[in-house]
Amino acid sequence: MATETGIGASVRRTEDARFITGTGRYTDDINVPGQTYCVFVRSTHARAKIKSIDTSDALSTPGVVAAFVGADLAKDEIGDLPCGWLVKSKDGSDMIAPPHPPIATERVNYVGEPYALVIGETVQAAKDGAEAIVAEFEIQTPVMDVASATQSEQIHESVPSNRSYDWELGDKAATDAAFEDAAHVTSLDIVNNRLIPNAIEPRAALGSFDAASETYTLHTTSQNPHLERLVLAAFVNIAPEAKLHVVSPDVGGGFGSKIFVYAEETAVIWASAKVGRPVKWTADRVESFLSDAHGRDHVTHAELALSEEGDFLGLRVKTTANMGAYLSTFASSVPTYLYGTLMAGQYKTPAIYVEVQAVFTNTAPVDAYRGAGRPEATYVVERLVETAARELNTDVAELRRRNFINPEDFPYETPVALTYDTGNYAASLDKALEYANYSGFASRKARSEADGKRRGLGFSCYIEACGLAPSQVALSLGAGVGLFESAEVRVDVTGSVTVMTGAHSHGQGHETTFAQLVSDKLGIPFENVSVVHGDTRRSDYGLGTYGSRSIAVGGSAISKATDKIVTKAKKIAAHMLDSEEDQVSFDDGIFTIPDSNESLTFGEVAFSAYVPGNFPLDELEPGLSEKAFYDPANFTYPAGTHICEVEIDSETGTTSIVSFVAVDDFGNVINPMIVEGQVHGGLAQGIGQALLEHGIYDSDGQLVSGSYMDYTMPRADDLPDFVVDTTSTPCTHNPLGVKGCGEAGAIGATAAVMNAITDALGVKDLPMPATSETVWRAIQGG
Amino acid sequence: MVDVTFSVNGKEHSLSVNDNALLSETLRESLNLTGTHIGCDTSQCGSCTVHLDGKAVKACTVLTAQAAGSEVTTIEGIGEPGSLHPMQEAFNEHHALQCGFCTPGMIMAAIGLVNESESLDGDGVRKGLDGNFCRCTGYHNIVKAVLSAQQNM
Amino acid sequence: MEFQGESNIPAPCQEVWDALLDPEILKECIDGCQEMTQVSEHQYLAKVRARIGPVRTTFSANIQMVDVVAPTSYTLEVSATGGAAGFGKGSASISLVDHGSETQMHYAVNGVVGGKLAQIGSRLIGGVIDKLTTHFFTKFVERWTLQT
Repeated sequence: MATETGIGASVRRTEDARFITGTGRYTDDINVPGQTYCVFVRSTHARAKIKSIDTSDALSTPGVVAAFVGADLAKDEIGDLPCGWLVKSKDGSDMIAPPHPPIATERVNYVGEPYALVIGETVQAAKDGAEAIVAEFEIQTPVMDVASATQSEQIHESVPSNRSYDWELGDKAATDAAFEDAAHVTSLDIVNNRLIPNAIEPRAALGSFDAASETYTLHTTSQNPHLERLVLAAFVNIAPEAKLHVVSPDVGGGFGSKIFVYAEETAVIWASAKVGRPVKWTADRVESFLSDAHGRDHVTHAELALSEEGDFLGLRVKTTANMGAYLSTFASSVPTYLYGTLMAGQYKTPAIYVEVQAVFTNTAPVDAYRGAGRPEATYVVERLVETAARELNTDVAELRRRNFINPEDFPYETPVALTYDTGNYAASLDKALEYANYSGFASRKARSEADGKRRGLGFSCYIEACGLAPSQVALSLGAGVGLFESAEVRVDVTGSVTVMTGAHSHGQGHETTFAQLVSDKLGIPFENVSVVHGDTRRSDYGLGTYGSRSIAVGGSAISKATDKIVTKAKKIAAHMLDSEEDQVSFDDGIFTIPDSNESLTFGEVAFSAYVPGNFPLDELEPGLSEKAFYDPANFTYPAGTHICEVEIDSETGTTSIVSFVAVDDFGNVINPMIVEGQVHGGLAQGIGQALLEHGIYDSDGQLVSGSYMDYTMPRADDLPDFVVDTTSTPCTHNPLGVKGCGEAGAIGATAAVMNAITDALGVKDLPMPATSETVWRAIQGG
Repeated sequence: MVDVTFSVNGKEHSLSVNDNALLSETLRESLNLTGTHIGCDTSQCGSCTVHLDGKAVKACTVLTAQAAGSEVTTIEGIGEPGSLHPMQEAFNEHHALQCGFCTPGMIMAAIGLVNESESLDGDGVRKGLDGNFCRCTGYHNIVKAVLSAQQNM
Repeated sequence: MEFQGESNIPAPCQEVWDALLDPEILKECIDGCQEMTQVSEHQYLAKVRARIGPVRTTFSANIQMVDVVAPTSYTLEVSATGGAAGFGKGSASISLVDHGSETQMHYAVNGVVGGKLAQIGSRLIGGVIDKLTTHFFTKFVERWTLQT
C-alpha cells in the first residue's frame, strides 16, 4: 500500500522533529540527581615510565570527591581493554596484543593516554583537582615513524620489533609469476594519511550504580550498546551482563569512532560504584582529538602487472599499517580482512598477493573510520589503475572497462577470499561518464589552460564489502563476536507496531527507514510504526551500526521478524475466516480468502490476538510479537563509479572541485533521500581526506593538529554540489535485496580526487592532503 | 558570581552565575535548554549558535554577564512541531540533517544569514555558513534547505 | 623549534653579564614574570604568566646555567611546566662579544613544547617567543638608555 511511505519512497525523516527543535537527547543532555563530574588526567608525553603519581593535593582540593589511578582499578581486578579480532601472522602465530589497561599503570604510550581521574562536585572542581595531581615520569624517546617502527626502540615488553602481526593473503607464487610474464608494471609508493574522525558530538559517559539491585547503568555515546555491555561484562569485569544496562541515546555522529570500548566509559562506570554516586564525563574537543581512535595511516608499496593489451595480470601490495600505541577494539581487522580482501576491486585480476604488517607507534590507537580498510584498498587499486592507463597512454575508463568483472561472471570468486554475488560495473561507469560529460572534458581543459589554470579528471571505480558478516566466516577468521543482527516486531492490541532493533542510529535515519519497511510489509500506516534502538534492556541483542550493515543485516532481521508476524497472523485470520492457513492471502494490510468477499484488516487480527475470543487457543499462543536473528550468508558488495573534475589555480595551488559525480549500485533502496544523504556525507569525508585533513604528530609525539585551528575539517565552502545517482543489481542473498550505502562516498571519493589532481598537474603521485601548498610546490617542481 | 537578568525565548530570567560562565554553558546547565550544543572549545564548530538581540552568535564566545539585558533566542524558541520556523521546515524537507548534533546551531546560523542577506545563491550560503561544521551531510542538502527557506522567510 | 638572534646592548660586557645574572633585573625584563628566585649560584626558579593563543597559564620554570664562561658565555637549560596546559623545555646558548662601551649579545634557542600547548598553540609559539624576546631586549636595553 502506501506508496508515499512505502519501500522506495523518499519519506521525510520522523526523527527530525526532535533534532530541528532542539529536543534531541544526547548523552551530555542527561543529568541525574547527585551526579559528580569526572576529569581525566592525560599524559603530555608520548612515551614515558610513570615514576610516581601523587593524588594527595588533588584530594584536598575543595569540591574534589575522589581521585583514582590505574592501580586502583587494577586492585578491583578491572581488566584490560581487549581487541576483538585475532589476526594470525604468515607463520601461523597469533598477533601480539600488548596489555591495555584503561588507566595507565606503569607507563604511558601516547600523548593523551589517561593515567589518573579526578571526580568532583563540579567540572571545575574536578579540573582543579586534576591540576593538583603531581606525576613524575622518566621520559623516553617515542617511536613516531610508521615505516621504520620495526627497527625502532621497543614500546611494549611483549612486542618485539613493535610488530603485532605480519599477515598475508593470496597466492604469492602465482602473483610473482604473473609479474614475470608482464609486458608492463606500474608501481606506486602510497601514504594513506592519518585522519581524525571528529563526530561533532564529543564522546561522553554517565555511569551510575544502584547498590540495592547491584545494577550499573551507563549512558554513553556508543554505536553499539550491546557490544559495550558485553566487553564491560566479559573482559573488563564490571558486572555480569544482566546487571549492566547500557543506553546509547541520540548519538551525534560516529563514523566508526564510537564503535569502540574506551577507557573513559570503563573508568566512569567503575567509579560510580566506588564513590556511590553517578559520575559523568564529557570530552572536550582537545580530548576528542587526543583520545578518539584515529583512522587510516598506511604506508604502501603496490604494483600492477599488465599484458601488452592492457589486461591486468597480477597485483602485489605491501603495507605497513599504524596501530598506534595499543590495539583498539577492532583495529586488527581493518588493514587485513577489510583491506586485503578488497584488492580485486571491480576487476578480473587473476593473481593477487597482499602483505600487511601492523606496527605500534607512540600515537593514539588507530581503528575503523568510515570505510575502514576499504578506502585504503580502493586508494591503492584505483590510483594504480589510473596510473597504469596514463603510462600505457590508454583511456582511463576503457582500461577499467576492459578488466571489469562482467555481469555474466557472477557469482565471482576473487583471488582474495571473497565471492561477489552480483554487480554491473559498466552500468555505473556509463551513467557516470554521461553525468560527467566525459567527451567534453578536452575542450573544458583547453579553456582552463587558456585562463592559465590546470584542469584534471579522475576516476574511482570502487567496490566494498558491507553488511558484516556471515558469523561463521568472521569467527573462523578470528572475530571475537558473531555478526548477525536481532529484531523484534511487537504488534500492539490496536494494530500499531513497535520495532526493536539491535542496529543503532547515529544519523542514519533508522526510525524512518525501518518504519517504512515494516509499514510496507504489513500494509499499515507509516505513522503507526515506532522504532526503538540503543538500549540493552529494550532490544534482545545487537551488534550495532558500522560497516554499512544496518539495512542489510538489521533490516533483514526486521524483515524476517515481520514475515513471522504475517505467518502467525494468517493462522489467526484463517481461524477467524473459518478457512485454512494456506488459503489466506495477505496484501496491503488485508487478509482475504478465495471465492469470498469476507476479509479482515491487520488491526482486527491483532485485536483478536490480544483479546482472543475468536482465536485458536488450542493451536496458538495469544499475542502477536515475533523475534528474529538474521545472520547474513555473504557480505554485500556495493560498487560504483566516482568521477571528480578539478581546476587548479597555478599561481596559488588552490584546487577547486568543479564537478563530482557519484553513481553507486546499492541494490534495492528503501529511502532514496536518506541514501543520497549518506552518499553526500561520505563524499565530504573522502574529499576531506584528499584535500584537507591530516592528523599530524611531531617527532616528539605531540599531536600538532589537535584542534579545529589546525585540523582542517571540510567547511561548506570547501565542497561542491554533488551529482549523485544509483544503478541497481539487487543483492542476491538477503531478503530485501539491499547492499548498504553508509561508507561508499568515503571509500570511492579520495582516489577520484587524487587522480584528478595528479592528472591536472601531470605528476605520478602527490601526498595527501593535497593542500594548496603541496600542489603549489608540485607546480613549482614540475 | 554575577547577577544577570536577560530574556531567553521571550521569558525573563534572573540568575547568579560565575563571572566566567559562558552563555552556552548557562543555557544548557542553568536553564536546561540543551538544544544548544557544544562541539568544540575553540569557537570553531558553531554548534552553539543562538541569536543575541536578533543576531546569530556562537554562544561560547559570549559571557553570560555580557548577555545582561539582552534578548536571547535558542533553537527551542523559534518553532515547534505544528508551527515550525520555515528554516526548520526546510531542513526536514530537504534532509539537511543526519545525526542532528550540529543542526540547532546550523539552523540558527542559517536564519541569521538569511535575515542579514538581500538574496543568497548557493555560493553565498556556503560562504555564509563557513563558521558551522557539519560532519554528516557534506553540506549539499543544507545549502538546498537554506535556499528554499529563503523563499518563505 | 629553533631560532637565534642578536642584540646590541649599550653597556660594557661585565655590566651586561652582571645584569643577566641578577634575578630582579630578569624579573623586570621578562614579560609576565611573577617570581624569579636564585636558589644557588647557577640555578633559578621562576613563575611566568604567559598567553599562547587560547591557552593561558602560569609556568613554573627551573632554570639551570651550565657551561658558564664568565663574562662571555653560558647556556640556560630550562624546564617549565604549565599545569593542564602542558610543558616546555629547551636550552638557550648566550654569548657576549665585548666592543668596549657596547656589548653584542648572541643567543640561540631550541625548545619543544608538549600537551595542550603543542596541540593548539604550537603554530603560535614562534610569535609568542618573538614578542617575549623583543620585550626582553627593549626592557633590558632601557636599563642603560633611560639612565642616560
